[in-house]
Amino acid sequence: MPDFSPTQYAVPLFVIAILIEMAWSRMRAPESYEPKDTLTSLAFGLGSTVAGGLFGGFALAIFITAYEYRVFDFGPEWWTVWWAWPLCFVIDDLKYYWVHRAGHRIRWMWAAHVNHHSSQHYNLSTALRQTWTGSFTFGLLFALPLVLLGFHPGMIAIAGGFNLIYQFWIHTEAIGRMPRWFEAVMNTPSHHRVHHATNPRYLDRNYAGVFIIWDKMFGTFEAETDEERIRYGIVKQLGSFNLLWSVFHEWIGMIADIIRAPWRHKLSYLFREPGWSHDNSRETSDMIRAKWLGREQAEEPNPVLDKNAIAQSSNPA
Amino acid sequence: MEIPFALVQFAGSLAAILAIAGLTVWLGLGRDARLANDAEARDWASQVAAGFAAETVGIGADGKAALLRDAGGQIMLLKQHGGHFAGRILDESSAAEQSGEMLNVDSGERRFGRVTLQVEASGDWAKAINALKAKNHA
Repeated sequence: MPDFSPTQYAVPLFVIAILIEMAWSRMRAPESYEPKDTLTSLAFGLGSTVAGGLFGGFALAIFITAYEYRVFDFGPEWWTVWWAWPLCFVIDDLKYYWVHRAGHRIRWMWAAHVNHHSSQHYNLSTALRQTWTGSFTFGLLFALPLVLLGFHPGMIAIAGGFNLIYQFWIHTEAIGRMPRWFEAVMNTPSHHRVHHATNPRYLDRNYAGVFIIWDKMFGTFEAETDEERIRYGIVKQLGSFNLLWSVFHEWIGMIADIIRAPWRHKLSYLFREPGWSHDNSRETSDMIRAKWLGREQAEEPNPVLDKNAIAQSSNPA
Repeated sequence: MEIPFALVQFAGSLAAILAIAGLTVWLGLGRDARLANDAEARDWASQVAAGFAAETVGIGADGKAALLRDAGGQIMLLKQHGGHFAGRILDESSAAEQSGEMLNVDSGERRFGRVTLQVEASGDWAKAINALKAKNHA
């Protein structure tokens, strides 16, 4: 089995790209970086590698065991089957779409993933804002079908590594739009800015990793519009650069909710969408979007009223 | 004594991220956000809670914080957070206290904390914020 971790080799490229973006930022948009925010994001990245080393063994053990029950066998030298690599990459990206969607729609998963979204900035350092607590969710279950199909856990890990590397460069405001054909198929800075936005129209959209086609297929695609300035972060901004609070705040909130909730609602605080509450005291992203749509429709000019002087009259004939 | 490679790697990475964060300071990146006028405060408020339409706005003298009230009596506290603002709609756990010209507002959320601002009609704001407690207990 080849011992290869693509992300380790990519780290120098990450650093160089961040330095280039910082130089761009100094000339064009100094507000796009914030020293404390950058330090928090990079500390997230470092901490996630430590957490992965400490807790990743559990997922690996499950995958190695599941691999014994695979449906297809690529043989003892599975890494020499060339076509299995691109196939694994594409299926792994489809898996990423669903695990990412679950990361936004199931509070237990969101508790781990929210870290990636809690910055109010959007730059390449945000890409390194990775979770410390992913091992404490059931995210690994999404990869099991790939293992059972016959893809070796090592192959899946390498495909996942390249997926992560691809996603690095799309965390920037320095790039506007890519060529049309590219925007149609691939995830791009424009598509991913939408994903990180808190504007109601953009909430819970564009979950793709590498290929944006999954969002188009499963009805979660939203194109970036130039009419509205994007606001980044989370619906309830933290208002704090405290690293540990940033890591654990949603876990703490979720556990507190479970403790406080009546028995019949406890599991809902674990498995339902973020913002859900049994007494309707909070708002989910669907509720926020529905309210926004209502306001938009109410403000929309009525074409009949605008053009018809009689219809404009408040006095009925 | 041999130092484990993982520890060396960790120390090296830590030094690198501190260097990059230091570079953002050296390059003069980032800015301290300030509220210049009511329109800016309203814009930030609508970002904190989509659709929040403030009727009354009180901006702190230094522009680092603001209080806003909508037609329904909801009160929002905005505070500067680096180059941005973060806010909370105040509730029964919130409290306000006048101290000379200053108004101390406790959001009621420990990590969001207390915000001190010098704002016009601070007595009225304090009364309105403290009334949230009574309103919800009534």
